[in-house]
Amino acid sequence: MKYFVHFRFTLLAALVTLLLPLLVGSGSLATEVLIFALAALGCNLLLGYTGLLSFGQGIFFGIGSYTTGLALLRLQAPLLPSLLLAMLIGAAVALLVGWFAIRQRGTYFVMLTLAFAQMFYFLAYTMKDLTGGDNGLLDVPRPNLSLFGHTMLATTSPWQYYSFVAIVFVLVFWLLQRVVDSVLGRTLLAVRDNETRAAAVGYDITLLKLTAFVISGAVTGLAGGLHAMMTGVAPLSNIEYHTSEAILIMTVIGGTGNLFASVLGASFYVLIGNWLSTLWPRWLMLLGFLLIGVSLYLHKGLFGVAQALLRKFGVRPAADIADTTSVKEQHP
Amino acid sequence: MILKLDAVHAYYDKSHILQGISLQVDAGEVVTLLGRNGAGKTTTLKSIVGVVAPRQGQVWFEGDNIAGLPAHKIAARGVCLVPEHRGIFKLLTVEENLTMAARKEAAWQLQDIYQIFPRLKERRKNGGGQLSGGEQQMLAIARALMTHPKVLMLDEPVEGLAPVIVDEIVAQIKLIKATGMSIILVEQNLQVCMQLADRHYIVEQGRIVYSAGNAEFLADDSAKDRYLGVNLAA
Amino acid sequence: MSKPTPILSARHVSKRYGKFTAVNDISLDILPGTVHSVIGPNGAGKTTLFHTLTGSTAISAGSILVEGEEVAHLPGYKRVRKGLARSFQITSLFPNLSVRENLRLAAQGTRPLQALNPWRRPERLRAACDSAEQLLVRLNLQAVAERLAAELSHGQQRRLEVGMAMAGQPKVIFLDEPTSGMGIDDIGDMKRLIHSLRDTTTVLLIEHNMDIVMDISDQITVMQQGQILAQGKPAEIRSDERVRRAYLGSMITGGKA
Repeated sequence: MKYFVHFRFTLLAALVTLLLPLLVGSGSLATEVLIFALAALGCNLLLGYTGLLSFGQGIFFGIGSYTTGLALLRLQAPLLPSLLLAMLIGAAVALLVGWFAIRQRGTYFVMLTLAFAQMFYFLAYTMKDLTGGDNGLLDVPRPNLSLFGHTMLATTSPWQYYSFVAIVFVLVFWLLQRVVDSVLGRTLLAVRDNETRAAAVGYDITLLKLTAFVISGAVTGLAGGLHAMMTGVAPLSNIEYHTSEAILIMTVIGGTGNLFASVLGASFYVLIGNWLSTLWPRWLMLLGFLLIGVSLYLHKGLFGVAQALLRKFGVRPAADIADTTSVKEQHP
Repeated sequence: MILKLDAVHAYYDKSHILQGISLQVDAGEVVTLLGRNGAGKTTTLKSIVGVVAPRQGQVWFEGDNIAGLPAHKIAARGVCLVPEHRGIFKLLTVEENLTMAARKEAAWQLQDIYQIFPRLKERRKNGGGQLSGGEQQMLAIARALMTHPKVLMLDEPVEGLAPVIVDEIVAQIKLIKATGMSIILVEQNLQVCMQLADRHYIVEQGRIVYSAGNAEFLADDSAKDRYLGVNLAA
Repeated sequence: MSKPTPILSARHVSKRYGKFTAVNDISLDILPGTVHSVIGPNGAGKTTLFHTLTGSTAISAGSILVEGEEVAHLPGYKRVRKGLARSFQITSLFPNLSVRENLRLAAQGTRPLQALNPWRRPERLRAACDSAEQLLVRLNLQAVAERLAAELSHGQQRRLEVGMAMAGQPKVIFLDEPTSGMGIDDIGDMKRLIHSLRDTTTVLLIEHNMDIVMDISDQITVMQQGQILAQGKPAEIRSDERVRRAYLGSMITGGKA
């Protein structure tokens, strides 16, 4: 029973992957939800668990797209190595960005991530031979998942690809949940809560923040790689500021301090966005209102709303150790 | 009686700094608040002027309870705090610092200020940041006077200043006192306190533990040792 | 009888902020198993001295020896492993985590590399968990073990603050105004706690509450303007004329008009 509690969120994540095909008509759209859920998870690890507000997640997403695109196009690499490479490069770039950005705190840290985001966008734009510049990398193939010449899982049709992405998603979610529940995860919470105190009891804050960055970069890079294969393009827009912003918004409206919340946030953003944009070109305004609402009243985001609803039905959701707003609500 | 504190309790977050302060100031009096570090002297001044809102107790000023009013409203009524570390506007000139605080009907005009603080007149075109520590302190006090306060509160006005400047400022405060101003002085320099004050209060752990007139305090060595020094045998 | 070796030694420690010297060539020996208070009038440099010894701020000159080993070049977080721990004057806890978790994290801090493990659950690192349990008893905080640190009363928070410093079983504990903002009852509890620390560790204390200082100190160092004015047992310090003058006189400023 204890293990069920540990796994409850991973099971929920798996449930989501089973529900999406029932609710969503398009395989691509369902895949997009999971891809951005991964990106939001990476962002949440930094924001909700380490207390770092990064406006540069698009860097790792875009780099992941380019890396997988280049691996598939130029190196004719198979599926898994192409994605693993995206994770590796994503982690390496995150290490670089993190190393510089961490030297500052608060507003200046945020500005540095923003500055790096712009810098990488510019680099991607100018290094046309590598990235295709404005056009991006085109005709990115989508190989089947094969081992020793045997096709394990076909990825040709959108829904086939979805099932592959779903497996990757649940696996990564499980691993991240492990990380977040581990000693490392708890120590990151200490850094989030009170850096000075964490250092005073003996922790190397820089090392801990960098570790969070590296994991975030790997997961976000993976998401970018999956995205490139889904669309067949590694576009410039993936590394553009707008992507960083979108990932951040998904994370915040989902709710920080709980991994599953990021799945909710990404699902909401992608699905509602897709549905509303066909109805109303100014749907982003609605998102703006939601963001304002979350910032002012719904600090726990959509996840908090879900928890409140559960409570109304008599179900008491277990308190998450990473929760930060229960105190504020009691002591306004 | 122009100012009276009645069992005031104040907190910084959960830290219970003032644990029931009761004191009073009569019009035209100079009263000092003495005590060791952390006793609650500065917090008392802050709770009078409204920077820290008292959680319990009353602050009576000219017959009204001002506890809980926003600081700018309390200041507008004539309670003025010159904080520790001065807080002058470094980017403005001396004259600009002063005229910013000016009030039309005020008894204190620029000429009156310059009479008491001739140094400030000499340096009136200098930027605030170019003044020495002592001059900044004079400017801070002068600026407070420009708002025509009824009660002037000075938090450690001579801390860190050279003896000769201290003498100058003490003389200036005497001049201000002579105009009938009510003054509350927080100061750790006993010499300065005993030259200026009519009465002394000693604060310890957020409460008033001693109160006496100047002459009585001058003679009371045991009280000084007990509450301000380290010899607790008294 | 030979002089016992000091557990902590400061040799010619100085700290400068630009042109201003906050701590001026201080040399100090702290004997093991004692409570050593640092007192002094306003601006004496007591907290700055604490900062340089614990590594919260970098030293400008001098050396700091812990059981003979030089630590002055080490950043604060590394000094924890050498046996130094501190509490803060303004309560500094992990507000959104439980009391037990606060203590576990503090206990784990002496083995920070273990804390980088992304797989192992914290409950598996028994040493830190057991330390936390024992501390809860010692601090009399068992009743609130699961409460979030931010929800505790002030007195409980200050005790937890000291507990965080105790958690790593340090050789020397630095307590910065542990009774600040406390009511009478809480002060009594804190006094007993500090007293009990003597058995297992050495305590360096900054306090303004003279009753406590005189009551529990084995040695007192009086600082003034960044230097040591006097040092000795409580009885000696109380009757020291220089100390009296420093506290009551016009040491920095002064004069008559």
